[in-house]
Amino acid sequence: MLAFTVSVAMLGVFAQPTQAATDDSLARVQEKGTLVMGTSPDYPPYEFLVNRGGKERVVGMDVDIAKKIAKDLGVKLVIKQMDFDSLLVALETNKVDMVISGMSPTAARKKSVDFSNVYYKGGQSIIINKADKGLYKDRTSFQNKAMGAQTGSIQFNLGKKQIKGSNMKGLAKISDLILALKSHKVEGVIMETPSAQAYVDNDPDLAMINGKFSLGSGENDTAIGFKKGSTSLVNEVNKSVDQINKQKLTKTYLKHAGTYMKTNTKNTSMWHYTSYFVKGVEYTLLITVIGVIFGILLGVLFALMRLSKIKLIHFLGVAYIEFVRGTPLMIQVMFVYFGIGLFINIPALIAGIIAVSLNSAAYVAEIIRGGINSVAKGQTEAARSLGLSQQQTFVSVIFPQALKNIWPALGNEFVSLIKESSIVSIIGVTDLIYQLKAVQTATYKGVIPIVVAMVIYFVMTFSLSKVLNHYERKMKHDA
Amino acid sequence: MPEMITIENINKKFGDTEVLKDLNGKVEKGQVICVIGPSGGGKSTFLRCLNMLEQPTSGKIVFEDSELTSLNESQINQLREKMGMVFQSFNLFSNMTVVENVKLAPVKVKKMTDAAAQELALKLLDQVGLAEKADNYPASLSGGQQQRVAIARALAMNPDVMLFDEPTSALDPEMVGEVLKVMQDLANQGMTMVVVTHEMGFAKNVADEVWFMDGGVFAEKGTPDQIFEHPQNERTQDFLAKILEA
Ligand SMILES: Nc1ncnc2c1ncn2[C@@H]1O[C@H](COP(=O)(O)OP(=O)(O)O)[C@@H](O)[C@H]1O
Ligand SMILES: [Mg+2]
Repeated sequence: MLAFTVSVAMLGVFAQPTQAATDDSLARVQEKGTLVMGTSPDYPPYEFLVNRGGKERVVGMDVDIAKKIAKDLGVKLVIKQMDFDSLLVALETNKVDMVISGMSPTAARKKSVDFSNVYYKGGQSIIINKADKGLYKDRTSFQNKAMGAQTGSIQFNLGKKQIKGSNMKGLAKISDLILALKSHKVEGVIMETPSAQAYVDNDPDLAMINGKFSLGSGENDTAIGFKKGSTSLVNEVNKSVDQINKQKLTKTYLKHAGTYMKTNTKNTSMWHYTSYFVKGVEYTLLITVIGVIFGILLGVLFALMRLSKIKLIHFLGVAYIEFVRGTPLMIQVMFVYFGIGLFINIPALIAGIIAVSLNSAAYVAEIIRGGINSVAKGQTEAARSLGLSQQQTFVSVIFPQALKNIWPALGNEFVSLIKESSIVSIIGVTDLIYQLKAVQTATYKGVIPIVVAMVIYFVMTFSLSKVLNHYERKMKHDA
Repeated sequence: MPEMITIENINKKFGDTEVLKDLNGKVEKGQVICVIGPSGGGKSTFLRCLNMLEQPTSGKIVFEDSELTSLNESQINQLREKMGMVFQSFNLFSNMTVVENVKLAPVKVKKMTDAAAQELALKLLDQVGLAEKADNYPASLSGGQQQRVAIARALAMNPDVMLFDEPTSALDPEMVGEVLKVMQDLANQGMTMVVVTHEMGFAKNVADEVWFMDGGVFAEKGTPDQIFEHPQNERTQDFLAKILEA
């Protein structure tokens, strides 16, 4: 949530100039021939993931709606997955053309986002543990109790305002909220009725009750979000929405979603989801390996800059290293994706890799600087007295010795990069953490996927440590 | 005899401390100069000025027609090829084997082929009696062996002059002899050498001239006989008395 607020604040700085532009939203979509939908696919039956022949796909009522809209516009539908938190930022930074993610057109959201006509009216329900069924009747039964809802959602605000003394806990993923419920971190989870129904249908330990919230304008509704000022696109999309409403198509769509949910839960063994985890490992390794390579290359550069005798270069090196080390990787990831993405459109994966590389570079630079300083001065003098240039001395004598000295520290950095790269999941990069959540959503199982992911992380870090130790021993020439 | 190095009015300051004061001197081709004197007197700094590891604050050093203090970086690199230097602490490259240590500069600086450099390196290692250690890493060698490798490494560039900064001071006494022997052989072959040393026996037997340095000046210069048998300067007398006592 904090991260979300910061990135929105950041946008305030960047987005100003583009705001005034004339409305070419419809023309742009038609011109590029694609309609990009942003969604957080952990909200069945609105949107969720299914595993089809080893490939995962986003399906659900919202996807069917998006397909119809794209068809009506005569363009191709592209689906971008990301955290619910990141959806509105993605709209403002043109990462997506529209957001369909079970989103309610509240007054607060309307300030920064344009909405289509309402395509669905669901109620707000509360999911509880089945064992507690006798204890809770509606929202009034939860006074002074801990409650959960998705961070940044209207359910979160409803709980906060309409349950006396409520203690709201916000999490990004519904699957995590259900886990929190089962472990009694919260006593109830507020969510939209169709979604709640889906969870209850698929998990015998859960039950749902009507929240009986008093719902203001928009809070019961679901609509499609657009970047502010996209009137032409909104008007065109509304034609499709009106058809959907007239022909009661959402009924068909919900049924369709129901069949997917059944196939999903038919086989919930982790083995069945191997492909999810494999893909997650692939991305995690990809990000880590590229992050390490560029981390070292840039790290050497920044270390040399910091060691430079030229004041300006030294200052730039210090400034970079200190700044990057002084800010969280999470914000850097969001800055690269959303902030820099305002000027050049970079895919989430590339943005994630860039952010991780730039971050790693700062830490590696400090390690390398320490390594260079640890090489005895006599080594440089001996090399220089033989006629080697400063550069030759560095490449042949200093750096290899520095590398040997810092190998353990570098190794630690790589191992921690495997773990820390998991933060890229917030912008929708399908790394291991992201896939873990996908499996949780798909199987309605909370803990087992966590255990599987944990074991996979451990296997990766442990084997990397072993490999690094092997090379460390090989590099030791002393005694 | 042709002059190889001419030193004119060299001064060196570290911050406000004057370490070298108006030094003058000439090293002729084929000469062995031994520089002696108490610790802290500026001997190392003087030697390091000769190949520009230290930049003199003022004064001129002429080496084979080149005025060192006026050269740029790459010209200095070229001149350093012709001046071998051996350090008290050996400074062998710990990331390379013995033979790689010797080959590095010929390959990188002289652009010699690896095969030619290998042949040269093995010849030089043989000359210092360490051919069989070619593929060892420095850390597995004794101090005396390391210093002999360091000498071979400097010789690999085929220098016109060799600078030694207390090459035996860090050695266990039983290893001093093997290093001095290599140096004596070099001198016998006609190598021009400037040697900072506390080995008075070596200075007496090998040096053509002995320069006594104290407090940043050459307090006295002369033949070994003049310096060791008939020292004129009081500070030289003091120093020698103390050395001989020990
Ligand atoms: N890099 C340096 N910075 C400051 N002072 C130095 C430096 N190198 C040497 N000195 C000082 O210069 C003086 C002469 O040192 P040095 O040339 O090493 O003497 P020697 O080799 O005769 O023992 C000493 O007082 C020493 O502390
Ligand atoms: Mg000294």
